[in-house]
Amino acid sequence: MQVSFGERSFRVGIFTWAVIGVISYWILPWFALEYGLFDATMDEYWDTLGWKSHPVSMLTPVFLLLFIPIGWANWSREIQGRLLVSLALVATLLLAVDFIIPGRSMGLGTGVILIVLAALFSYGIARLGFLQGDIFISGAVTVVIFIILVFVFYPVLQIFYKVAVTKEGDFAPFQFFNIITSFGIGRVVLNTLLLAISVGVATTLLGLLFALYSVRATSPLRHLMRVFYILPIITPPFVVGMSLILLFGRAGILNDVLMYFFGSGGLFIPEGVEGIFERSGYIYGFRGIFLAQVLSLTPVSYMVIVGMLTAINPAMEEASLTMRGSRWITLKKVTLPLLAPGLANAFLLGVISSAADFGNPLVLGGEYDVLSTEIYFSIAGAQLDFAKAAALGILLLVLSLTIFLIQKKYLGKKSFVTVTGVQTAGNVTPLPARLQRYLSVFVCCWLLLIGILYVSIFLGGFVKQWGADYTLTFMHHKELWTNGFSSGGWPSFMNSLIFSFIAAPLTAILGILIAYILTRKRFVGHGVIDFGTVLIFAVPGTVTGIAYIMAFNTAPIELTGTAIILVITMIIRAMPVGIRGGMSALSQISPSLEEASLLQRAGSFKTLRSVLLPLLRSTIISSTAYSFIRSMTTVSAVIFLASAGTNVATTYILSRVESGDNGVAVAYGSVLILTMLAFTLLVQAVTGRSRIEKQM
Amino acid sequence: MSRNTSIQVTLKNISKHFGSVRVIDNLDIEFKAGTLTTLLGPSGCGKTTLLRLVSGLEPPTGGEIWFGEQDVSQFSATQRDVGMVFQSYALFPHMNVEKNVGYGLTVLKETKEKIRDAVSRVLETVNLEGFQKRYPDELSGGQQQRVAVARALVLEPKVLLFDEPLSNIDSKLRRSMRDDIRGLQQKTGITSIYVTHDQAEALSVSDEVVVMNDGAIEQQGTPRDLYQRPNSAFVANFIGDSNVVDAILVAEEEGSAIVLGETRIDLEKRKVENRPGKIKLSLRPEMFQLRETGDEKKHVMGTIAHSAYVGAVVEYFISTPVGELFTTAPVSEEQYAPGRKVFLHFHPDELIILPETRG
Repeated sequence: MQVSFGERSFRVGIFTWAVIGVISYWILPWFALEYGLFDATMDEYWDTLGWKSHPVSMLTPVFLLLFIPIGWANWSREIQGRLLVSLALVATLLLAVDFIIPGRSMGLGTGVILIVLAALFSYGIARLGFLQGDIFISGAVTVVIFIILVFVFYPVLQIFYKVAVTKEGDFAPFQFFNIITSFGIGRVVLNTLLLAISVGVATTLLGLLFALYSVRATSPLRHLMRVFYILPIITPPFVVGMSLILLFGRAGILNDVLMYFFGSGGLFIPEGVEGIFERSGYIYGFRGIFLAQVLSLTPVSYMVIVGMLTAINPAMEEASLTMRGSRWITLKKVTLPLLAPGLANAFLLGVISSAADFGNPLVLGGEYDVLSTEIYFSIAGAQLDFAKAAALGILLLVLSLTIFLIQKKYLGKKSFVTVTGVQTAGNVTPLPARLQRYLSVFVCCWLLLIGILYVSIFLGGFVKQWGADYTLTFMHHKELWTNGFSSGGWPSFMNSLIFSFIAAPLTAILGILIAYILTRKRFVGHGVIDFGTVLIFAVPGTVTGIAYIMAFNTAPIELTGTAIILVITMIIRAMPVGIRGGMSALSQISPSLEEASLLQRAGSFKTLRSVLLPLLRSTIISSTAYSFIRSMTTVSAVIFLASAGTNVATTYILSRVESGDNGVAVAYGSVLILTMLAFTLLVQAVTGRSRIEKQM
Repeated sequence: MSRNTSIQVTLKNISKHFGSVRVIDNLDIEFKAGTLTTLLGPSGCGKTTLLRLVSGLEPPTGGEIWFGEQDVSQFSATQRDVGMVFQSYALFPHMNVEKNVGYGLTVLKETKEKIRDAVSRVLETVNLEGFQKRYPDELSGGQQQRVAVARALVLEPKVLLFDEPLSNIDSKLRRSMRDDIRGLQQKTGITSIYVTHDQAEALSVSDEVVVMNDGAIEQQGTPRDLYQRPNSAFVANFIGDSNVVDAILVAEEEGSAIVLGETRIDLEKRKVENRPGKIKLSLRPEMFQLRETGDEKKHVMGTIAHSAYVGAVVEYFISTPVGELFTTAPVSEEQYAPGRKVFLHFHPDELIILPETRG
């Protein structure tokens, strides 16, 4: 009987995957190697091969080879599908049991075999008519669900597990309540909420003012607001905190100036009289964190509100003006109410980001404890109280998830849509003249402050000892960059570059794939991906960090200390960028383009490659770029996972801050910012509006 | 390239539900081999959904779809062998005309020469020779539409589907484009299904029209059939303009008669299937002549409520005992001012008696 093309590729596919599985069983380590794959000796490698030490060594290859006759038999699609699906599930289950019961860790070969099983499973569900029998999309869905289960759900569940058992492994259902009602925790929660809400209010108000100014003012100053787009992207989150220390810290410039005038022996203080000013660490605590977070988060709320503001149809304001409403009345009665969802969105975003922020509280917190730093300190150093970290993690997770779900439910999908500055037709109503004057002054002050902050970061790297000895020097940069590639700043810098370079394209591709599956496909299991995405968006970095430490420190999946776990963390942490980029790009591509391709006999893989990918090209580039930047600047999750060998730039800087080497830290920070700036400008130059973008 | 292998498309007991919304419920419908059938109906009536069910882009909730002697219900869009012209044309913006039209052939891994020849042949049939290297954004709306048609034709599909293909084209051009589509379909003889909400387009382009309402078929028939013998008030109103009024049918020895308000109309030899009693009539605006004089017993009397001059004709709304009637009169005739008493003359044969069970 003649075998059709589709049938043949089905058979070849199953054959190929099964053979890959068998080969990797034979040559790749079944168990994890103690010191990683590349540092193992031949003997160690030999010992981890499954067929050597495994009690039922022939079962695995025989099981895998079993798939081939099923794929090649002339049975009905239904029977074939059911057999493939159930065999793959049984095999996965057996594998899991085989590792969990003796508590051994999976090796690379087992990982490959899991992928093989996932592929065979996809062939099975495609046979059963899942997703209209599309093997490629079935495979993609299986892989995405697999990733979400292992790297999102499993770690989060681990937090809940860790809080429910004691150190000895006994079941302790009330441990969570004991911890959260214990001394001090209430204060930490209150601190976090107080800070988050104040920061939310402040960033929303400031964001609104700046947005009004940049969209509606007539002054040329508004063009300078562009820095709002770039600076927060390229600045690691804690660097603002560091620069605040330079300005307002104990040895900061402000203290110096005040001492110079009002301190003992100061210019305005008569000889012999006590100074009316003493150096103080007023910046540490609530004030400092608040200021740092407002400075670094206002741009985010600004972008949300600008997007909303430009989306308002100018005709509505024009209508108000024709009905004799003054500019003030129009602003108050028309513009602001229309902005309300945007303002609410900006506020919630501010609250979430503040609660999730880790770097600034770490650098500036002082006595003011918040959840994210408290989590870190419960397992950093000698304490190692996993149950406490887990309980605090749950609190932070619940807080952030609640706000995220409120935002998603009441404010629609707005947070998914990237904010673009598209101007609609019609004339926008300018600001009332007086308001504009006040705002101009305010914006000037703000920009000046930001300018001073950044200048101080760059200068800080070139002076001997900030606050004490302002002699210009290259010593910090020399220490970092001229002591060979294996010491100073180079190892962490190279790690950051390499890990981010691997993570970024994977993030972009996975993000677009998830966005595609979520928006264009309907199937059983859709909810799993949807909820997984919500978690990816909502879980704060600190929580990801402890969750990963708890989940991947022991069998069956032991990854801590490896570079792989850092790359995976970077991918998951940057995933929102990828998904958002994919969603907004796909929303601009009519589904009928894909349908037209399908009707021309093209399968979904060909459609993706020939129709979607060319149209998504610029999105892929910019998603990759921003994922790269995010991975380079991320702190909160990686700080838990980076080890001596896998230190990255941000964790290295923080460790220098903690040991008091502010000069070195600032020097490194400025190099990181410059690198990111150069990279951003390069990407923007490359992704200038292409022909395709114009057409969409 | 006329083919004698045209196939009939049959939908058997087909349903499509989106959640709890039953867009299409247990529908049976046949599209005759080699004909162009239009699905006509207001927006939301399920016509586009029906088209997408035939294309395979939308899996049915229940029922079967047959292409000729083959059950294609389980086939995906890729396997079904249909060509489709989308409302938005769905031309690939990053490919030129040649690549767009030849896309399906590259999928089938044809040789370059073969693709080039096939593309130029099909572009010729849509009068677009020489446009191979243009990109979609360099073409006018009409040209884009023809590229979309060429792309749908190039694989010589068993079935051609048109999803409101002319809705984005201005009205002047639309007339010639629909003639082109009609000509092309007749030349190729591919069984075609055409979705539109424009009744004039439907009447002019199709062999058969299926009027749909609320996911159900109101009536299927030739354009002439539908216009002259609508079997429901909905069809009468949707195809052309119509005044649907209540009347009473009386049966007498010498033949039936209709009582329309004060007026009594003898049907003479005309056969009527309705039972005597209350009936509904459809009165086409163009069947009336307005006269100052008349017999109240034979003609409907009324008063001009208002009138509007619309160029070729004058539109009148006339208050009569059976309700307000809409009619038109040539501008050359005498114009009647509002308030004037007029008689509506008409020929009894032109009365459309709607079947009982519906409307």
